[in-house]
Amino acid sequence: MTVAEGALVGSVVADLEISRAWLVDPASGREGPGEIVVTDGVLEALTWLDADEAGGIDDRGVIVVPGLVDLHVHLREPGDEDAETLASGLAAAAHGGFTTVCAMPNTTPALDDPAVLVRMRGAAASSGSPVRVLAWGAITAGRSGDTLAALGELADAGVAGFSDDGVGVQSASLVRNALAYAGALGLPIVEHAEDASQTPGAEANDGYVATVLGLRGWPAAAEEAAVARDLALLAEVVRDVPGARLHLTHISTAGSLDLIRRAKAAGLPVTCDVTPHHLALTDEWLAGARRWAWEASGDPWANEREAIVAAPYASSLRVNPPLRSPADAAACREALLDETADAIATDHAPHTSVDKDVEFGLAANGISGLETALSVVLAMVDAGLVPLARVIEALTSGPARVLGSAWGDSRQPGFVEGAPADLVLIDRSASWTVEANGLASRGKNTPLLGRELPGRVLLTVAGGRFAYEAAD
Amino acid sequence: MTVIDREPSGDSAPTLSVPVVDSPPGDQAVGWRHRHLLDVDVLSLADLELVMRTTDAMREVLARPIAKVPALRGRNVTILFYEASTRTRISFEVAAKNLSADVVNIATATSSVTKGESLVDTVKTVEALGAQLLVIRHAVSGAPALAAEVFSGSVLNGGDGWHAHPTQALLDLYTIRASLAGPDGSLAGRKVVILGDVLHSRVARSNIWTLTAAGADLWLCGPATLVRGFEAWALRGAAGRRFTVTSSVDDALRDADVVMALRIQKERMATGLLPSLREYSARYGLTRERLAMARPGALVMHPGPMNEGVEIAPDVAAGVQSRIEEQVRNGVAVRMALLYLLAGVRS
Repeated sequence: MTVAEGALVGSVVADLEISRAWLVDPASGREGPGEIVVTDGVLEALTWLDADEAGGIDDRGVIVVPGLVDLHVHLREPGDEDAETLASGLAAAAHGGFTTVCAMPNTTPALDDPAVLVRMRGAAASSGSPVRVLAWGAITAGRSGDTLAALGELADAGVAGFSDDGVGVQSASLVRNALAYAGALGLPIVEHAEDASQTPGAEANDGYVATVLGLRGWPAAAEEAAVARDLALLAEVVRDVPGARLHLTHISTAGSLDLIRRAKAAGLPVTCDVTPHHLALTDEWLAGARRWAWEASGDPWANEREAIVAAPYASSLRVNPPLRSPADAAACREALLDETADAIATDHAPHTSVDKDVEFGLAANGISGLETALSVVLAMVDAGLVPLARVIEALTSGPARVLGSAWGDSRQPGFVEGAPADLVLIDRSASWTVEANGLASRGKNTPLLGRELPGRVLLTVAGGRFAYEAAD
Repeated sequence: MTVIDREPSGDSAPTLSVPVVDSPPGDQAVGWRHRHLLDVDVLSLADLELVMRTTDAMREVLARPIAKVPALRGRNVTILFYEASTRTRISFEVAAKNLSADVVNIATATSSVTKGESLVDTVKTVEALGAQLLVIRHAVSGAPALAAEVFSGSVLNGGDGWHAHPTQALLDLYTIRASLAGPDGSLAGRKVVILGDVLHSRVARSNIWTLTAAGADLWLCGPATLVRGFEAWALRGAAGRRFTVTSSVDDALRDADVVMALRIQKERMATGLLPSLREYSARYGLTRERLAMARPGALVMHPGPMNEGVEIAPDVAAGVQSRIEEQVRNGVAVRMALLYLLAGVRS
């Protein structure tokens, strides 16, 4: 591999040759040894190597994948710049291998007005980052859950769809109207599925761990009731509005995924995503366990507390929806395998230490996830649970399909000769240790601080420009 | 629970006596290895035995004409209560003063958030003001664990949220053992019932660990809405030690050796957990008639404060079987013992 020296973020990749790497291209369904040449920002040549040329190249070394796409990030600007800015958030995205991110509208003010979008785009442009920012507009005015936001104006301004993420829309009739109205605009409703009547003050997955720790339970049924309601509404709305689409984000329970699986089988236009933390972490971590979901038993106190290696109640673990049981995490992996889950989305939720370094029950919900997502998912791949190609698909063409028209027809996910290069080089044989000062995000609120993770991003190219390059 | 080593504990635990607690703790307290006491789930049988023996010694101190020893002279015990409490706070204060500690009391009904200063900042401040032992009560489960992360001395959990109330569980164990333990201190074969609002109770949660460790046949009983979630815990057991959860007050009380009633709070009706206090009292209140189902002479306990006429009838609370005042007396001795043991640990 050769890279132009002194590359600056935002500068065009004038000349890049990647030789003898393992390429994964979900768009074409192909992976294997190959070479890529980028000239003046354009992916000029893609060559798949024959077996006799490919000696010694495997998917355990340097791999090249299309730029990752994140359907769900919180970039906090405008209004909460202490937690994140467009500039820091996009730097975090590039560090994590993401070249397209979709920002949630729970800014201050909320993105319920095109003016907020203009402001975000201005901040993104002045950051100099080549990472592409898309935005979800609010479903309801001020995200209050009361009346519809200006969906048509927001659509005209270019939002990718609509979400009140952070809270679920509690009024079913409003969800019905939003699905219909947005459907006619050709855009999806992205639901944070939570029946708030079941979750006042909720702190942790309702179950054994929460009971022992004395944390207020967050029932799986709070999510499943909202999912079931939304699917029932969608089934009716879609009869009148064929363009209606529902995307359920950060799905966390086995029951929700079963409902979605059945709805998809019945032909409903529904998609969903799962997060790296719900795939890989469990509520055991609240008790001080630090084993991956696939190594967890569900009982951190068993066998003389052998799983407990950290202090309990780490507020970095407080997240909405909460970390669930090992069985739920297994269901998320299963959903990824059978494509019930269309995408992996980070729900990157940076917070300041003021909001996070407090008592567990008073801490803000959210995990800073852009920079660890890929490595966490690779840990799952390393464990042999999900094939590499499938997770890369769920991080690239999967979310691009969810975005539909909002993805834009000028670009396609995957390696396309003649198109602007959009790719990530990852060294799967390398590992790195998560440290606060090594994160580009202002949000240092990750439970993975201090942990060694597999897979290191060497280079991120977005739209033909340098987005991130590892220091050494 | 590592914790429960099943070795006979009598050999290793030092026998503490009055002369020992008269002097500052140090190497005498060998055998106590916990810098903080945040939860009882980490206590081994040997730890429990050490607390019980040290409490014996403190009871002897309390029986003296002048119930005071110089063991913690010059030590600063700061009592930081974020939640309203009278008896527990005073119990800690009396315990610390009986050990000749310098006591600083900080009571704030407001949470750290509404007060404008974070718990972390408050803990750092009291440390800068000289706190060496920090007793903390907080309405949020796990708050003492956060305090322990930033405090350089020892943190003693005075009750956190629904999670843990270690000193209450230890004084309950001491009180039950005083009447019912076998020669080895075991409660094997003794049926202990915790009756009432288990869901919201840190007392119940801590007692699950300590009473099962002591060998008791533990039963948790209350309306289905107030024992919710505990079946899953009972199936796994506390460090594998099983207990029983039921909504049948008859099954629970039959042949019980100890009945511990828990406080029912009025807020439970507002959230739909109970129809009414009257109905609760009729179905689960500890009355003389219900108590008759237990073994003759069964102990009646309550962690306080009581709603007499709701979860416990006044004549039962004041009856000959009641150990409620004894619990309060033992509370001072247990807290003296724990302050003493924690003070002996090198930070």
